[in-house]
Amino acid sequence: MFGKKSKPRQDEPPPPSPPTERLPSAKKSASKQTPDVGIFKEIIDNLPIALFAKDVADDYRFILWNKKQEEVMAIRRQDALGRTDFDLFAEESAAYFREMDEAVVKKGTLVTIPKEIVETKEADSVYLKTAKLPVEHNRRTILVGFSEDITEGVKGREQLEALNQNLTEKNRELEEAHLQLIQADKLESIGRLAAGVAHEVKNPLALLVLGVEYLQSGIDADDPNIAVILDEMKDAIGRADTIVRGLVDLSSDRRLEKQSTCPEELTDHVLLLLRHEVVRNSVVVKRDFRCNGVRIDVDYGKFEQVLLNVITNAIQAMDEAPAELHITVKRATLGDVPRNLGARDATHFRTGDEVVVFEISDTGSGIAADDLSKVYDPFFTTKATGAGTGLGLSVVRKIIELHHGKFKLGNREDRRGAVATILVPTIKS
Amino acid sequence: MAIKVLAVDDEAGFTKLVKMNLERDKEFEVRVENSSNKALSAALEFKPDVILLDVVMPGMDGGDVLTQVKKNAALANIPVVFMTALMAPREVGEKGFQMSPTGIVLPKPVNLDTLKKTLRDAANGEPVE
Repeated sequence: MFGKKSKPRQDEPPPPSPPTERLPSAKKSASKQTPDVGIFKEIIDNLPIALFAKDVADDYRFILWNKKQEEVMAIRRQDALGRTDFDLFAEESAAYFREMDEAVVKKGTLVTIPKEIVETKEADSVYLKTAKLPVEHNRRTILVGFSEDITEGVKGREQLEALNQNLTEKNRELEEAHLQLIQADKLESIGRLAAGVAHEVKNPLALLVLGVEYLQSGIDADDPNIAVILDEMKDAIGRADTIVRGLVDLSSDRRLEKQSTCPEELTDHVLLLLRHEVVRNSVVVKRDFRCNGVRIDVDYGKFEQVLLNVITNAIQAMDEAPAELHITVKRATLGDVPRNLGARDATHFRTGDEVVVFEISDTGSGIAADDLSKVYDPFFTTKATGAGTGLGLSVVRKIIELHHGKFKLGNREDRRGAVATILVPTIKS
Repeated sequence: MAIKVLAVDDEAGFTKLVKMNLERDKEFEVRVENSSNKALSAALEFKPDVILLDVVMPGMDGGDVLTQVKKNAALANIPVVFMTALMAPREVGEKGFQMSPTGIVLPKPVNLDTLKKTLRDAANGEPVE
């Protein structure tokens, strides 16, 4: 519609009329090529496009203003005809239109203005897509314009953008809250661990004190005990250092910072941190490590937290003998992954993917059917008041999600007790 | 005559040091038992004058061993001194040990003099102060 000037040319033969005798006007059209001006007027007035025209020589006054233009501008034809932009619109808008008009006339061809905003004196702002065209007629230059009201589209897009921004903002806040939750849980873990770690450190210290006291009482070069004592002391210092460093590692606050990690080493590290709980509850730990050197790309501290929470839960679930904690850490190819993981976990994984599987199973009372769906709810806990906030598993799930892994908790099939399964993609070598 | 001490604690390194220190000037004779399950039979065999007992141990803990000892007529009168890393220094107070319903509790780390005095007094049936 905005493309061509459709002025019929007088010197060309008329298009052949349709071979019918029913149309009485068919004969008349041989002499008259263009339909009645009256018909044009009707068409113009009822176009779904706003149409207007200005007399260039007469200060660009409006000489044409169709119904759609009335609607879009909220100005009636009788109030517009004979007036200029400056009479009808805000000064700034009018000046802008004049500038455009003059440029179009100078250019001499159709110009499209993809988006302009018009502020009428009475109505709200409208967004228009406008085309302007100078037309020569009877030695007059008429500036013809057609506008499409694109306000809805523009406003719609604006609203969408605002919504999008809002959503992005909310999403960021949610991630922030999640990280805070992870941190809160971590602090809780540290608190719980502190007593155990203190115990684990005091034992080496007790040894050191006795060693120093022995040496202080006099060192006899021939005394065979000296060498033994010094060895034991060195060993004790090493043990204390390891466990304290483990605790410090745990308490450091970092965002997700991944690094290449040996899953077996990480698991042993956590078991060391939990040594006190293990001994106190007389838990027998069975380690089945089969990684064959494969590594995972994880945030060490956070993954440590995951294993800490899961293993602690397992230990605490076993309050009567025999208390057996079975930990398997192995590499696997998806396809032969434990079935209890479920099909909907396919989002991050494809068959054939290489993963590391952590399986932590206990010989406790298992998880009641009713509770199975609730375990991930923040603050849900079956432990006595004060024994745990219940944040543990929601944090575990969140951290694993951040690592594009999968976590599943359920009951053992072979005997009473629960089993937690964690899948993490391996580092592709 | 040397005071016979049965030291029961799962940390082998620690019991080694205890033995070396206590036996150095011949005041004590120490038998070490690192497996709490064997504590009872070791006591029956060694017939100590005092038993030095760790609290947190895998398998039977200090409390369990005490119960067993008290139930055994041959051992019931042997004084028992506990040692533990579980107490906070503040809980212990200035004397260096705490009295509990089950007897004396020494915090770890313990200094040698306190350890010797406590064991000595307990073995001699004197009130520990």
